[in-house]
Amino acid sequence: MTVRATEVRIGDRLRTRTGLELTVTRIDHGLLGREDFLSFVEDSDEQWLKMPVPRDGDVELVSRGTQ
Amino acid sequence: MHEGTPTPEVVDWDDLPGLNGQPLDSEQLAGKAVLVVNVASRCGLTPQYEGLERLQRTYGDRGFTVLGVPCNQFAGQEPGTPDEIEGLCRTTYGTTFPMTAKLEVNGRRRHPLYQRLSAVPDAAGEAGEIEWNFEKFLVAPSGEVLARFRPTVAPEDERIVERIERALR
Repeated sequence: MTVRATEVRIGDRLRTRTGLELTVTRIDHGLLGREDFLSFVEDSDEQWLKMPVPRDGDVELVSRGTQ
Repeated sequence: MHEGTPTPEVVDWDDLPGLNGQPLDSEQLAGKAVLVVNVASRCGLTPQYEGLERLQRTYGDRGFTVLGVPCNQFAGQEPGTPDEIEGLCRTTYGTTFPMTAKLEVNGRRRHPLYQRLSAVPDAAGEAGEIEWNFEKFLVAPSGEVLARFRPTVAPEDERIVERIERALR
């Protein structure tokens, strides 16, 4: 299922267009000076992965976090 | 966010894995001014390879080289095998500069080279994580990291060219 980027919360698990998955541990505002983007980051022992999405875009949600 | 203030961070070129699976020959880098760039094949900035190769051809015989560092940590935009990465670089963009194996540039498993590079601030004084593909660091022949340029600063931007020229004097 997909959700609006602005609805993503810490702990949600997302899938990138290239098929990688990340569990969001941090949400950064902006990317490369563009404030109309959100950047979802997993910074964990498992991996470091960043997935930017336009604020008004959708993302593929694998599972909701518990936080 | 552009060229950073010079810092005492120093890097060396030992123990870098090459894209072909063999250790990178440090002779390709030692004693040269090196522009280290984390690259990706499926990024909107991927055409920056063209400007990087022009820098290589312009300054390569004056003691300069680009070093490409493939990285898949930014939206998985470098998913390919070494052969696929090599094919894109050499065939599509005609690059001649050395490339490392795919490395991690952020996070707890980031390569030691990037532990040092990421400590260097950009022109706005911001150090820390690599923001995105095609972030650039200029390293002096001595190994001192001279400057950090964010991804949207094009390879042939006058700020980068001027800094390369100064490093080669």
